[in-house]
Amino acid sequence: MQNRRSFLKKSLIGGGLLAVGQFPFQSFAKEDVKRLTILHTNDVHSRLEPFPMDGSRHQGEGGVVARMALINKIRAEQEHVLLLDAGDIFQGTPYFNLYNGEPEIKAMSLMGYDAVTMGNHDFDAGIEGFAKQLPLANFPVLIANYDFTNTVLEHKTQPYKIFNKGGLKIGVFGIGIELKGLVGEAQYQNTHYLEPIQIANATAAMLKRKESCDMVICLSHLGYEYEGRKVSDLILAKQSENIDLIIGGHTHTFLDQPTILTNKQGKEVVINQVGWAGLRLGRLDYEFGNFSRKNLAKAHSVIISK
Amino acid sequence: MKRSLPLWNSFFALTLLLACSSPKSLITKHTEQFYTIDASLGKDSLMQAFLSPYKKGVDTIMQGVLAYSDVPLTKAQPECTMGNLIADAQLVSARKIDSNVTISVVNYGGVRINFIAAGAITRGLVYEVMPFENKIAIVSLSGLQIQTMCDQIAIRKGWPIAGLSFQIKDKKAINIKVNGHAINESIVYKIAINDYVARGGDNFEFMQKATKRFTDILIREAIINYLVAINQQHKVYHTELENRISYAE
Repeated sequence: MQNRRSFLKKSLIGGGLLAVGQFPFQSFAKEDVKRLTILHTNDVHSRLEPFPMDGSRHQGEGGVVARMALINKIRAEQEHVLLLDAGDIFQGTPYFNLYNGEPEIKAMSLMGYDAVTMGNHDFDAGIEGFAKQLPLANFPVLIANYDFTNTVLEHKTQPYKIFNKGGLKIGVFGIGIELKGLVGEAQYQNTHYLEPIQIANATAAMLKRKESCDMVICLSHLGYEYEGRKVSDLILAKQSENIDLIIGGHTHTFLDQPTILTNKQGKEVVINQVGWAGLRLGRLDYEFGNFSRKNLAKAHSVIISK
Repeated sequence: MKRSLPLWNSFFALTLLLACSSPKSLITKHTEQFYTIDASLGKDSLMQAFLSPYKKGVDTIMQGVLAYSDVPLTKAQPECTMGNLIADAQLVSARKIDSNVTISVVNYGGVRINFIAAGAITRGLVYEVMPFENKIAIVSLSGLQIQTMCDQIAIRKGWPIAGLSFQIKDKKAINIKVNGHAINESIVYKIAINDYVARGGDNFEFMQKATKRFTDILIREAIINYLVAINQQHKVYHTELENRISYAE
């Protein structure tokens, strides 16, 4: 590609066509590659500090101090970065018992999270408990399938957000797990859970078709996989349309590499999840080309490498 | 020139239409990796400064040693040492309120860390084992309902229990015993369990209709009190696997 491009340029100059047609010719010849780096966490569960050095499997791992150092390093290297979390920010260490989620949300604001979705444990201090910490967040909480009408979270979350990153439009939306049987009713109160696949497909279709997003990301707290028919990221991916990437959570699944499935349209869906407790930071680097027939063919056989 | 204008117009119209109805770029490639977060990545001083006052508050309360254990406590199914500690502590606490309580059941999902090394058990570790604000409920169940409950636990591959033992065979509970005695279908047993499950959480719907009493004792406090009492007797905490739940051969 590089060779062909420089050859074209040289022949244009050599042919004396430069003054007449440089701009249109170059824009025709140049493959306009755009890049986006997606960083993600899930189920951090109030793990602000690393695991203690006590001989346990993850001793010394995790913690926001090291995570922020890494995020800043990547941000210095990459121009366009999205930092996302798939829920269960709260609960799991004494930090949450003592401070009710304040340091978790403030730390995520410091790290520059772009968007998060809600997990079931984010209701652990009650719906009021989450609403109380929300003003400390300088990022939106995205959740498309919880109806918060007549709760303190009404109008405080949003179903999706569109990010403009270096000429790309990236649509991100959130999907939550069914709360009944998982969270006490006193905690979630009048929150209504809506059927996730239908909502996800409607939201993704709107983002891709109406809003012309170049990529659609679903932040999901449904869980990676279950025995039986309970809706999961695997089920969502197969039954989905217009979703390119599912950043998952809930099941604390460590995927050493993402799972790639085919959706209802025969297109690829990537699913990723990075365990829990902030032990890992996931990273996906995407390249985008012009919307052309050649790239359309390529998009059906995207190259995966580690 | 005049003739080509309409053509240009329709070209622009088409471009506009395309721009509205489809994305401008396509994913052509993606690569993936993950990072393990650890000290080798360095420290962000801003974050360290931010966390410091919170950490001081946590450490002041949480570093206190409650007791010492001579075995590591681990989380596993169908039975585990960490689960035995919680179930035993919950039973002791519940019996102080109602001495007729004979059984203790802990939902496995409520146990939130996998490992505590042998040695000092701090208050902070107990918070991590049981971070939830769940309280002990005392539920009255017939022998028949005990069978239902044990079957549910068997399907879930075993939960921490005390005062009760059984074996799992074909996802069902067999040889159910309460303190060594076979269950009697007509006897009412009192069990100590998390209030969330007593209300039907974790899909334990059959619990919803049962007679129950909600106490004010946090399960976490029950564990803390249990360990403190052992330490006050100058004893070291010890537990082992006792086949409370096992798989039938």
